[in-house]
Amino acid sequence: MADEVLFDFLHMELVSYIHQSCSKEENSKDISISRLESIGFRVGQSLIERFTKDSARFKDELDTMKFICKEFWNAIYKKQVDNLRTNHQGVYVLQDNRFKFLTQISNGKQYMESAPKYLAFPCGLLRGALSNLGVNCIVTAEVSAMPACKFQIQIQRA
Amino acid sequence: MTIYNFYVFDRNGTCLYYVDWNRRKQSGMSADEEYKLMYGMIFSIKSFVNRISPTDVKDGFMSFKTSQYKLHFFESLSGLKFIMNTDLNVGNIRDNLKQIYSTIYVEYVVKNPNCELDKQITSDLFRTKLDDYIKGLPFFAAKVS
Repeated sequence: MADEVLFDFLHMELVSYIHQSCSKEENSKDISISRLESIGFRVGQSLIERFTKDSARFKDELDTMKFICKEFWNAIYKKQVDNLRTNHQGVYVLQDNRFKFLTQISNGKQYMESAPKYLAFPCGLLRGALSNLGVNCIVTAEVSAMPACKFQIQIQRA
Repeated sequence: MTIYNFYVFDRNGTCLYYVDWNRRKQSGMSADEEYKLMYGMIFSIKSFVNRISPTDVKDGFMSFKTSQYKLHFFESLSGLKFIMNTDLNVGNIRDNLKQIYSTIYVEYVVKNPNCELDKQITSDLFRTKLDDYIKGLPFFAAKVS
């Protein structure tokens, strides 16, 4: 009935709890963001096992990325990524024009400072999912105007 | 057919939001005093109406009318009070107030982690969505001759 809101509220509370519990240490913002990212990493790893248990092998890296943009994003955020760009050198940019966690916050510039907090978990999610598919990478996110945001994936070649 | 102004109060009497469109006469007291007066009155009327009712109470206090304006009231289950002053030609708008609560307040305030639930609403998104909704209502006219 209201399953989507469950995830939204849980995530909101998770972010605020992590920030509160880290507020006494130095660099509290960075610590909270990296903690949220590691939580997302672990969740992403398990999720990808679940989602790909019946799919065929991916032809190449680009195919993996397309899977992430379509099925994975759809399953978690109920929509697909709006734009995927790559430089074919291992850097991919995923653009979502109405990112699920940002749509209710603002429609432009208000509350911009608090936006990165809500992107840490999704970044970890992406990194965990890709790592379990055999792709090691670094994921960063940036927001210029809510609710649109961009995730930048940098593949690390051994 | 116009809407004059709109208040939102929480369970403890804090005024979370106030906006007016066509208010022609100020009440002569500061905003804080006006909010306190409004909340206190509404609270008293509500309990008075429930006590004095000669039959079973279904919805309780819903609106009052004077010769110039009509005040509409809606309270959610969580104790949130929505009060709207309109002119006299408007019928029962409880459903509209209910819709404001469920599609605008819940979406853009409850789901916004930057908005604390017992403080004033600062979200611009809430303000714009509310404005758009109100201006889209059939009984709102930006200018009254």
